Amino acid sequence: MAKGNHKRIRGKPQIHSLLEHYQPIDGVVDEMVDAAGNPRPVWKHFIEALDDLGAEKLGQRFARADQYLRDAGVYYRVYDKAGANEREWPLAHVPLLIEDAEWAAISAGLVQRAELFEETIADIYGRNRLIEKGILPAGLIAASPEYLRPVVGTTPAGGHYLHFCAFELGRGPDGQWWVLGDRTQAPSGAGFALENRVATTRALSDIYGEMHVHRLAGFFRRFRDALIGMARESEGRVAILTPGPLNETYYEHAYIARYLGIMLLEGEDLTVSGGRLMVRTVSGLMPISVLWRRLDAAFADPLELRSDSQIGTPGLVEAIRQGAVATVNALGSGLMETRALLAFLPKIARELRGEELLLPSVATWWCGQATERAHVLANIDRMVVGPALSTRLAFEDDGQTTLGSTLSAGERAELVARIERDGGAFVGQEAVTLSTTPVFVGGWLEPRPASLRVYLARTPEGWTVMPGGFARVGLSLDPTAIAMQRGGQAADVWVVSDRPVERETLLPQEGDSFTRTRPGSLPSRAAENLTWLGRYIERSEDTVRILRAYHVRLAETSDPDMPLLADIRDYLEPFGIDVETAIPLGLIGTLDSAVYSAGQIRDRFSPDGWLALKDLSKTIHQFATTVAPGDDATRAMTVILRKLAGFSGLLHENMYRFAGWRFLEIGRRLERGIQIARTLARLTSLKAPDGALDMMLEIGDSVMTHRRQYPVQAGRRTVIDLLALDPLNPRSILFQLERLKAEIGLLPSVGGEGHMSPAAKEILQLNTQIAIKEPSDMTAKALDELAYEIGGLYNSLAKAYFG
Amino acid sequence: MLYDIRLHLHYDYAAAAGGGRHQIRVLPSTISGVQRVIAASLSFAPAPNERSDFSDFFGNNVTSIAFRDAHDALDIRMSARVSVSRPEPGLDVSPDIGRLRQELAAVRSLASASPHHFLAGSAHSGIDAAITTYARDSIAGSAAGTAMNLCNRIHRDFTYDGDATTVRTRASDAFKLKRGVCQDFSHIMIAGLRGLGIPAGYVSGFLRTIPPKGKPRLEGADAMHAWVKVWCGRDAGWQEFDPTNGMRASNDHITVGYGRDYSDVAPIVGVLKTTGGQVGEQAVDVIPVALEKA
Repeated sequence: MAKGNHKRIRGKPQIHSLLEHYQPIDGVVDEMVDAAGNPRPVWKHFIEALDDLGAEKLGQRFARADQYLRDAGVYYRVYDKAGANEREWPLAHVPLLIEDAEWAAISAGLVQRAELFEETIADIYGRNRLIEKGILPAGLIAASPEYLRPVVGTTPAGGHYLHFCAFELGRGPDGQWWVLGDRTQAPSGAGFALENRVATTRALSDIYGEMHVHRLAGFFRRFRDALIGMARESEGRVAILTPGPLNETYYEHAYIARYLGIMLLEGEDLTVSGGRLMVRTVSGLMPISVLWRRLDAAFADPLELRSDSQIGTPGLVEAIRQGAVATVNALGSGLMETRALLAFLPKIARELRGEELLLPSVATWWCGQATERAHVLANIDRMVVGPALSTRLAFEDDGQTTLGSTLSAGERAELVARIERDGGAFVGQEAVTLSTTPVFVGGWLEPRPASLRVYLARTPEGWTVMPGGFARVGLSLDPTAIAMQRGGQAADVWVVSDRPVERETLLPQEGDSFTRTRPGSLPSRAAENLTWLGRYIERSEDTVRILRAYHVRLAETSDPDMPLLADIRDYLEPFGIDVETAIPLGLIGTLDSAVYSAGQIRDRFSPDGWLALKDLSKTIHQFATTVAPGDDATRAMTVILRKLAGFSGLLHENMYRFAGWRFLEIGRRLERGIQIARTLARLTSLKAPDGALDMMLEIGDSVMTHRRQYPVQAGRRTVIDLLALDPLNPRSILFQLERLKAEIGLLPSVGGEGHMSPAAKEILQLNTQIAIKEPSDMTAKALDELAYEIGGLYNSLAKAYFG
Repeated sequence: MLYDIRLHLHYDYAAAAGGGRHQIRVLPSTISGVQRVIAASLSFAPAPNERSDFSDFFGNNVTSIAFRDAHDALDIRMSARVSVSRPEPGLDVSPDIGRLRQELAAVRSLASASPHHFLAGSAHSGIDAAITTYARDSIAGSAAGTAMNLCNRIHRDFTYDGDATTVRTRASDAFKLKRGVCQDFSHIMIAGLRGLGIPAGYVSGFLRTIPPKGKPRLEGADAMHAWVKVWCGRDAGWQEFDPTNGMRASNDHITVGYGRDYSDVAPIVGVLKTTGGQVGEQAVDVIPVALEKA
């Protein structure tokens, strides 16, 4: 194809257009160029701007977008033979551009569809007119696992079933957009759409700035306000319910929770009491009245839905029946994803709304009806045949859905026989050819098949459509390769206007009224994870300090069996720290545990904090394969200490001083108290080898202070005085106890206002006891007992706050 | 027949259960054309912190209870007086399977008694090729005849054995074992009929404990019982068969509830916070009430 006319010659006559090798497929619509190979109007400026940059610069810029995604830690999870793995978000760098007039037509079609779905689902769970009139076959609905009998006849709190939907669209060879599938259960991807936008605009900020691209933030703000508005009516809170960190889109759940400032909960955080849904927090049970669920309804309540669910909340369905909580979307809404329903939508639209569908669905025939079955069997070669009750998109339905034309004679005969025997289990759908959109490969643009996912949210003013969304783009020309689980990529979608667009953000605008809201109550599980994060980080630091002191001495001595080194070896061994290995497995395990604890509460971390922790973990795993004992290990430990200090500093300087930070701090202080008491007991024992006291000062980072405070050499008493009983030394035991007393005293009261909690009593007692001690009292035995008692404090806290 | 029914369920927990929530389905209800409940009561020890009663999708009585505090045992006692009076089975007016399918398609309803709920495979009674093949040999000229044949064959071919299966056993596994209890035989019969295209459901209930003079004691009378309901077409409607005893449900069968299989009508479901196992016992007495001697 001749593309010479698109070359823009600006002083450098040899500039090639990125379009030069662009070869759309015959008979397939291309989003960027028309049939004659000319760029469509909405793309014209965009391509010119890309050409101005040139392939090399463009490559660098796209690398910048990838870097952003890596830095932000955007991942999704894929399940393959090797199990579940985190994978970097596969950004297709070139956005899909759509003109806003065309977008308006898509929006109108989808708003109509969402309304129709709401009425349909309300009818199926309510009056059943569609069944009675024979418009929907009763057998089809009754057989669906998404038809949830426990909620039949229940009107959802707030009056609506659907609040947040997504639709998957494709453009056919005739240029028309078709709906390929519907997402009404718990649509994912809206958060990824946001991240796509941020990453893409990192690369193309100037072009984005020049073009009038609709912003996404307003969509999220309106939906957040709608959720909060629903909750306000019933005096409860809004929460997002996630299946947990092992879910493929957990990153997104945490991201949305953080972006919108909504609590992120797991099933075990919730309980039902007195017919209301409650979250267990460190301040007791708090009511939840709006639950944005990101798990499939069947798993939501093991008592009335799937009894094998480990991630649900017993009693949730009862709370829903009593109208005490609204779920987004209502349990049972997943029914609308059923593939066979596509066949009935045109009739339903006529019946319920007296309208034709503005946007057609991909042509679908349910084989449970004689005429339709005959049609599918007669045309099986140009059909995609799959399970009638499937809720997956045809191209994602691994192995279940087959393209008639690809079957061998034998397979074909077998499929025909199965359809004839059990037609109700099958649907035939017209095989879809998707339009193509450009991707950047090896310095050129190339066409790839794409589908478009669009999000709609309900607000008090009606449905609002996210002006954008994301496009799934194939890795190859094979249209089945657009599924993310099979290596598909995701591209940003720019809805482009010819006029300036409104710049919306989530931040309150000048003139908006604002109220200062108290930070929400901390869920118990989050408090527990924060405490353990604090403990693991501190434990790592204490271990690294001992190891560094060990390796410094190892490097300087000719005798690796000298008594002090042997003593340290024996001391650490029971804790799984083998000093023979420069980076002991026990230490790596502790840091991995810290990462795990943090991973459970990712919505509570800034990306900076998370990255610092990931970097720490990466470093130590790297060291594990490269570092040798002695000098090398000493340097490695210093690097790790510095990174640990960096992470602690980030948390300390940036975390809002509320309950979350308090539990983290308590975890750190508990652990430091325990570690120092234990190490002191060992190294100040009367049996301790030569050099133990100096080493203790080094481990306790108190060499200089000691020199300044005591005009004598380190002796047992001076070391104990400084590291156990000095209230001003941030490494001393007494200092930890003072901090613990202060922070525990500020925790939410349990057992009634004005009463001290058991943990508060224990720490007060312990603190007073130690504050009046003399160094001579602190025998090795007394120190070991003290370590044990500090450990006991954790149990009292756990009982009061994490139960 | 008028009966006094007493049920005692008892659970011991290995480790003290830290609170929990349960749903109990043991209270019979009045069913037109089958039975009338004259009095019924249900009590728990320890007393739950929350209790509510409702009727589920299939019309079964459900009592929902919740405990906040730790407890190491749970006692459930139900007593009821029920009068059972089932019609005598009349002439078999049910159609053959082909016509049954047409009549089914004409049923435009998702009401709880609609046969549509009982055709697709369910958790315990999934459609299974081996069971369907077995059931095919029972096909008769009518749906009710087919059901009766299958009911009798299961009674003949399978061995009653309380140790072979558990409450979680699926039809396909019990079918391979060729043994089980009322629950398993019912699941197998349901799966077989569904495989043939005949809607079939699970009935949970009680059997008269001591047989009338001269009649044998029925199998399954010492615990809660289960049998099968079969949709026999527009005119014949639902009919009930007991594959454990190879008979139609009689006036010795007292109904507690209906479901697609056991999991819809389990006497107790619930989530307990305990690390140990739980052990259950049940005792049932179904005693005919002697009417005033006239």
